[in-house]
Amino acid sequence: MHELKIAEELASVVIEAAKKENLSRVTEVNISFGELVQIVPDIFRFAFSETVRDTLAENANVNIEIIQVRMRCIDCGNDFRVTNNEFSCDSCGSADIDITEGRELFVKSIEGE
Amino acid sequence: MEIKIMKNILDRNQNKANEVRSLLASKKVIMVNIISSPGAGKTTLLECTLECLVKSFKIGVIEGDITTDRDARRLKRFGIPIVVINTGGGCHLDSHSISKVLAHFDLDDLDVIFVENVGNLICPSQFDLGETFKLAVVSVAEGDDKPEKYPMLFREARAVILNKTDLIAHTDFSNENFTSDLNKINSRIIRFDVSCTRGDGLRSWLEWISGQITGLSHI
Repeated sequence: MHELKIAEELASVVIEAAKKENLSRVTEVNISFGELVQIVPDIFRFAFSETVRDTLAENANVNIEIIQVRMRCIDCGNDFRVTNNEFSCDSCGSADIDITEGRELFVKSIEGE
Repeated sequence: MEIKIMKNILDRNQNKANEVRSLLASKKVIMVNIISSPGAGKTTLLECTLECLVKSFKIGVIEGDITTDRDARRLKRFGIPIVVINTGGGCHLDSHSISKVLAHFDLDDLDVIFVENVGNLICPSQFDLGETFKLAVVSVAEGDDKPEKYPMLFREARAVILNKTDLIAHTDFSNENFTSDLNKINSRIIRFDVSCTRGDGLRSWLEWISGQITGLSHI
């Protein structure tokens, strides 16, 4: 249930930003999650809706973009998408790789009035 | 009206974790974040580890538990500073709770802090505590599929302990599957196969962790 804690953190970021921009209501929350963070979207939406009850973000839609895992090989520079948890270069086989995408827990924007 | 935010949701946790990491580095204290599912043997591993290291190093322990201080009571006999964090239902520790309890330790008089995270394989791996490294603990009784199911933890951990090897004959645990999945995810992870109840394999672990403490805490 890390969804709940992450939803609480998101709620505080959203409400703070909405107040700063003098919004009276937040209608959309646009976020990205990497595959590796293993968030279940329906549980997350439920947790968020409970967290923002009686706030200006109540009833906001949470739009979740799931980002697939990508890596870059430090040895040969190959940029590749990861399948089946193979965390090594699919070209030269090196285990020296950087995870470039797939660990995001990112708020892109909010919409409101 | 759309407002761009472009911010990591866990920024607050990350910033605090960075503060904790700097503080510990300045005090030359290493922190080991121990992560496993409930019942894999984190507390028993700590008991075996403290038994051997308590004479050589100055050790502190942070016990994360949803409720109760049962794990902390098991470690009381070692006479070292132990602080319990009850998460009250929360499934992981975070850097803010760690930062608060560090005030209970004399960091000038410590080499290492072992943090026993709440038993869970997903949530704790998302929350940086400011640790020096993560240690994953799994037991053969849980099955050989844990690395494949929870890749983030095994990707990020510096070392993994496979515990309860004395039970292997009574389970369908496949060492071959476990090894191959683990290598795919993190071929550099250091692995120790142990039985904490029988003592098998503990020597290599104790030598390695002693080397980590001496090597890192005196940089």
